[in-house]
Amino acid sequence: MDWWLWPIALFAVTFAIGIVAVLAGVGGGVLFVPIVSAFFPFHLDFVRAAGLLLALTGALSAAPALLRGGLASLRLAMPLALAGSITSIVGALIGLALPTDAVQLALGLTILAIAALMWRSARPEESSPLAADALGTALRMNGLYHDAALGRDVEWRVRRTPAAFVVFAGIGLIAGMFGLGAGWANVPAFNLLMGAPLKLAVGSSGLLLSVVDTSAAWIYLNRGAVLPIIVAPSIIGVMLGAKLGARLLRKARPELVRRVVIALLLLAGARALLKGLGV
Amino acid sequence: MSADQQVYARWLEWGTRIALVVLIASFVAYVFALRDPHLPPQELARLWAFPVDHYIAATGAPTGWGWLALLHKSDYLIFLAVALLGLVTVLCYARIVPVLLAQAERWRAAIAIVQIVVLLAAAFY
Repeated sequence: MDWWLWPIALFAVTFAIGIVAVLAGVGGGVLFVPIVSAFFPFHLDFVRAAGLLLALTGALSAAPALLRGGLASLRLAMPLALAGSITSIVGALIGLALPTDAVQLALGLTILAIAALMWRSARPEESSPLAADALGTALRMNGLYHDAALGRDVEWRVRRTPAAFVVFAGIGLIAGMFGLGAGWANVPAFNLLMGAPLKLAVGSSGLLLSVVDTSAAWIYLNRGAVLPIIVAPSIIGVMLGAKLGARLLRKARPELVRRVVIALLLLAGARALLKGLGV
Repeated sequence: MSADQQVYARWLEWGTRIALVVLIASFVAYVFALRDPHLPPQELARLWAFPVDHYIAATGAPTGWGWLALLHKSDYLIFLAVALLGLVTVLCYARIVPVLLAQAERWRAAIAIVQIVVLLAAAFY
């Protein structure tokens, strides 16, 4: 295959990923890294760097509107982003130091675990806990946002903040190591673990991701793992696809989209696992 | 909405817009060969399947902030956009520190300062 066909194919695939990611409510990185590393000739080092940068760009672009609408909260995201950004640096350094086969194998297992998590995902919690924990209160992790669907202001506070610091540190490590972004894990951690309302969890997930992925992206950039011919078409493709996905959102059948995403993750995860095993 | 959140959103919006404009413009310059690249794409295609260390050794591509010296090359112009994307969050955090202090939110101001240190440490590691 001629070299110039690969960036074109990459643009087409990332355009499709952008559509599916919006419809399924996941970040682009979690689909990009396993799919591109499985079916394109690029080395995993370059794919992980591009995955982080496209997840970062999507999160940075969406965050201002979410912040203004009150659906993302700096109060909620800031302390946890600090924990995640420190471990994402460690994750990126580990990922770049390990042999490719080991990272590929671990990526395959992680992607299959994410697919299983999505398959068995628990029902989201819609209400905020009545009582906040001491650390969450000390850090003033509480507030109000306006829910247009309910037509009223919703008061929120959080629980299990110490456990959340550990969980977000783990998410940062995985995000940095595999370039996966972190939206797939942030939302359940905010909502199910901490009890933040679902809409606030979704909005704040992108904000937190923008900080965590920035740290890891610098490590990949400084090591020379950013290839413009992979990064630029991927970012442009995902951004354009996401715009179309947002238009299709009203007509889409969420359950069907969720199944397509799980199937894609299973396929790409299995391929990564086999590549890691040298098959 | 709190003042810090408002300021953060405004700086984030403009920073990201500028970075994306630079990204698209520099990619157009690269694709249409408006400037010479450091490494022609057909040569890059022979190396993109190898680990980053192999790629660096084969091409002499810069690491760290060495790309700044190659900004006249179309492929490294894209690095400017990537670096801007990496600096937007640092600028936003730096901008909200005085706002948080004015609101007497010392803990959050301290978290913002530590976050800036972490991001800069990653940028200069």
